[in-house]
Amino acid sequence: MHMSFSILNKTKGLSEKLFRLLPYILALLLWAALSIYGQYYLKKVEDLSLFLFDSLYLKEAAQTPGGLLGAMGSFLTQFLYYPWLGALIWTITLLSVYQLTVKAFDIPKRLMSLAVIPAALLVIANMSLGYGVYIMREPDHFFAPSLGYLAALIPLFTFRHVRSLWGRILFLTIWTAAGYPVLGMFAFLGTVSASLTALTQPGSLRKERFTLFASGIILVLVIPLIVYSFYTSYRMADSWIMGLPVISEDAWTRVMRAPYQLALLFIPVMATVSHRLKADGKSTLLQASVLTVSVLSVWIFWFKDDNFHIELAMSESVDRMEWQKVVDIYDKAVKSHSKSDERAYKARSKSLKDVTNRDEIADITERYRSRFFEPTRTMIIYRDMALLKLNRALEQSFTMKDGGRPQKSRCLIPMAYQAGKQIYLHYGLINLCYRWCQEDLIEHDWSYGTLKYMAMHSIIMGESEFAYKYLNKLRKTIFYRRWAREQTPYSLDSSLMAASEPYKSILPYMCFEDRMVNDMVKCETFLMRHYTEDEPPHATPEYDRAALLWAMRMQNIPLFWNRLYLYINSNKVVELPRSVQEAALLYSKLEKPPFEIPFSKQVTDSYDAFNRFIKSNPIRNMEESAYPYYSRFGKTFFYYYYFIRNLQTY
Amino acid sequence: MKRIAIPVLAALLASCTPKAPSSYSNLDKVPSVFPDYTDITIPANIAPMNFSIDEQADEYITVFSTSSASTTVKGRKVRVPESKWRKLTAGSRITVQVYGRSGKQWSAYAPFSMSVSDDIDPYISYRIIPISVESYEKLSIRQRNITNFREKVIFSNTMVQNNEQGTCINCHHYKNWETDNMMFHVRHYKGGTVLVLDGKLNKVNMKTDSTISAGVYPSWHPTHDYIALSNNWTHQSIHAASHDKLEVIDENNDIILYETRTNTVSVIENDSSELECYPAWSADGRTLYYVSAHYEGPFGPGRESQMFLDKEKLHFNLYSKSFDPDTRVWGKKQLVYDASAVDSSMTWPRVSPDGRWMVCCISNYGIFPLDQIASDYIVFDLSDHSYRYADELNSPFAESFHCWSSNGKWFMFSTRREDAVHTRLYFSHIDENGHFSKPFALPQRDPEFNREFLNAFNIGEFMKEPVHITPRQFASFISSTDATPSKYESKRGE
Repeated sequence: MHMSFSILNKTKGLSEKLFRLLPYILALLLWAALSIYGQYYLKKVEDLSLFLFDSLYLKEAAQTPGGLLGAMGSFLTQFLYYPWLGALIWTITLLSVYQLTVKAFDIPKRLMSLAVIPAALLVIANMSLGYGVYIMREPDHFFAPSLGYLAALIPLFTFRHVRSLWGRILFLTIWTAAGYPVLGMFAFLGTVSASLTALTQPGSLRKERFTLFASGIILVLVIPLIVYSFYTSYRMADSWIMGLPVISEDAWTRVMRAPYQLALLFIPVMATVSHRLKADGKSTLLQASVLTVSVLSVWIFWFKDDNFHIELAMSESVDRMEWQKVVDIYDKAVKSHSKSDERAYKARSKSLKDVTNRDEIADITERYRSRFFEPTRTMIIYRDMALLKLNRALEQSFTMKDGGRPQKSRCLIPMAYQAGKQIYLHYGLINLCYRWCQEDLIEHDWSYGTLKYMAMHSIIMGESEFAYKYLNKLRKTIFYRRWAREQTPYSLDSSLMAASEPYKSILPYMCFEDRMVNDMVKCETFLMRHYTEDEPPHATPEYDRAALLWAMRMQNIPLFWNRLYLYINSNKVVELPRSVQEAALLYSKLEKPPFEIPFSKQVTDSYDAFNRFIKSNPIRNMEESAYPYYSRFGKTFFYYYYFIRNLQTY
Repeated sequence: MKRIAIPVLAALLASCTPKAPSSYSNLDKVPSVFPDYTDITIPANIAPMNFSIDEQADEYITVFSTSSASTTVKGRKVRVPESKWRKLTAGSRITVQVYGRSGKQWSAYAPFSMSVSDDIDPYISYRIIPISVESYEKLSIRQRNITNFREKVIFSNTMVQNNEQGTCINCHHYKNWETDNMMFHVRHYKGGTVLVLDGKLNKVNMKTDSTISAGVYPSWHPTHDYIALSNNWTHQSIHAASHDKLEVIDENNDIILYETRTNTVSVIENDSSELECYPAWSADGRTLYYVSAHYEGPFGPGRESQMFLDKEKLHFNLYSKSFDPDTRVWGKKQLVYDASAVDSSMTWPRVSPDGRWMVCCISNYGIFPLDQIASDYIVFDLSDHSYRYADELNSPFAESFHCWSSNGKWFMFSTRREDAVHTRLYFSHIDENGHFSKPFALPQRDPEFNREFLNAFNIGEFMKEPVHITPRQFASFISSTDATPSKYESKRGE
């Protein structure tokens, strides 16, 4: 009997130790996941934020309650420049959330896992955003709520040391009045939570408890009304949510905001119930359940869409102008999905076997669609842009998988919002780059990314004073001051641009005449029109290559001949790239070509093979036929012509 | 103790006060300073003209002196304390001597001066706007006491709009530089024209069935309860590759008269083949100046795109119309300046309070000089209708909105001369011969402000006094009040 007790005690001790250790192990795993899997997302968060060592920056931050907390958040966000470092800081912040929650509420050891809940909710809040990151209004959203949470615990700790009623009321008054301008609603959260603790925890007179609680509530209600006169940056109705991350208000984005709110709600809830948590009793199951549910929730809500993460990786390489890496990321993504595509095809074929009803076929096809890898249009635009910069677009673009998978997002983010400034800058449409920088500015306020692109735009335009403004701002950052220093010579002497990236690869695309343009927030459609409707008299070889690429994408035969002619002349082509020959051969069978084109044997053989395959495998259902055709002819223009159609751009 | 403390304190203070170097070599150049405040004329009541020295040196000392006062400032950023500045501006001419030390050697740059002249209206107001193309998020109309550095928000759109519905604010304007009668427009969410009439808030909707839009660019009648406004149906487009980034056209323009006491609107000019805009009263209120371009392009859906194609054919001429404010009877329109004859376009006429001078923007084409690098000023002498380019004001970049101080001695204008993109406010003194002094930038506490600030100043207006209605009162009123529809009345006589 004695021995079984001892074993029981040892087991209990072990499980307690394990549960105490598990949050740290989970934090380590989180850090690893963020640093490896989430690295490009973290980099994007950093790219959309800004912290400047600048008095004007802090002055502007102070113009909104909670703005200084935001500035602190932005200060930490800058370390996401190195995702592992930023992730480490955030993980430590979350561990602080866990530890201080335990301490603030005196959570007994046997129930310590409860303190994982707010940390898990903060992880969900940040990592479930997905495309929502592009419409987040506050660039500080990544760190600020965690910091705000920690700040809101301060009154709870203070109450332990200040016991007298008037002392507590005085503290709450100072805390709320002084804390609101700095912390926004997080100051109220602390006030309400401390008041609730005082109300619900036994030990003092009932009257005193009610007086304290009422004081806290009155402070929270009255102080915003008083201080509103000192601010002009928000609506009075928003006084009680200042400092919370703001996303444009529709039903879906309200859901996106919910994890932040739940994490913060945890404090007043715990303040109300924490005194009822008993130190003894069985809790292994509860602890295990809390941890399991927390981990599973993080896993489930973490935005894991492959295309989203590939886009982010490509975007980061575009920012660095690592063009080969852009192509490699894309290529790797296609290859890594080839086996799952094959499995999906087999499974779909099996399901479609003997099915003749059209609706049923469409239904099954639709069901299997998501199991096939298909790139988004943003990925294709990034890839083609990189191939153009590498001067391999006409050789390789049509040999690579194409498609137009819609964003996996409830709120569609137009490509222009996502990548407009990058795409337009590198295609030489620099005033549109300027325009989308401005839109970014409206959407997110200034960011490192916007300042960089604005600076590059101004340098290209030879607007040295304008460039100075942006470079000067970037000089006030930790991680971009070097970049700003490197760009300064170009802002002072535009002749240097011709020999240096990124400028030397942008300038050749700027050979068109100025005209009035409006992309109507449709980046791809605009590029297509720009390169196919305009015919600059002094087009460069680079421009004509891009124009031919877009003409091939348009699948417009007369346009193709026209752009091909210009391309041959300006690029002094001896042998046409294979994809171009394929297009020319295919079109020459449909329409007499305006000039003679020599075709290689490989191309004519491939065309014959394609025709033979068509005869033996007639295309009845485009989607069902696509896979076998892709397996054999996926690297040809013939496949592109027949199967890549009706793509929806955005 | 006291006997020791006072000399020690005095010695300490003396050691902290910078002194001009006793030995130095003379340089034969005026130092480059930002903003350029060299050899300018300033108002006697202006805030300290702080500037940065854009010259390389290890240490800087600047000495300001007049016949009766002197102040020495140390550092690259030259900031003069307000109390000391007042003593300097009591004189008629401030001489500024900048010294720079490189290594052990001090050098003295050639001195420059600031001539102290007439007082200026103590307040100005302007809109602070991001340099966005189409969207807006944070806009505010602010007032600045230009005798010091105090700036306050008059109203900000963030006090009304929510995350779903945006609010734009624009075109603030005052009757005779006094703020008891003022207006500004609120567009979209909670929209309407906010009118302060004798200190009382009103919100009206000037769009009627007989007019093409609500009122836009205003000019308050100097003696009667009228405001002349343009109606604009505006579109924007972007230049694919030009220093002029944005192009603004108005698909249609008319001008209207709004009667503040009766909330009625009547048409002044609405010829369908003319684009009339930018009304401006003469000093006596008996003539209305405005601009108009003849355009016979198509009406309907294709008009906007056709107008962008034809943008360079849009030449606005300057016209005037006589007006009897008591009977509200208009005379016939008269051509004042035929800009189209010289392939130019004239916009934004503004008449000086003494009625002698009128300054307009002139550019190659179009209606929106703010976005046209080529936009400059032309000044008319209304006593003999002669005119000339105001070269002393013009820069290689866009000059746009401008206004006169209430005493007619000072001219405030918007210019992009500093970096081609961000509009900044500049001032110039005008003498009795219509000659403008060298313009200078609105002084700021931090002289680097204009270089650091990433928003633009827009529509600077002089005011004799601050706006007394608080932002909170404006916000509460705008949020809770629906705009009262204006009544339409037909035009009288011609």
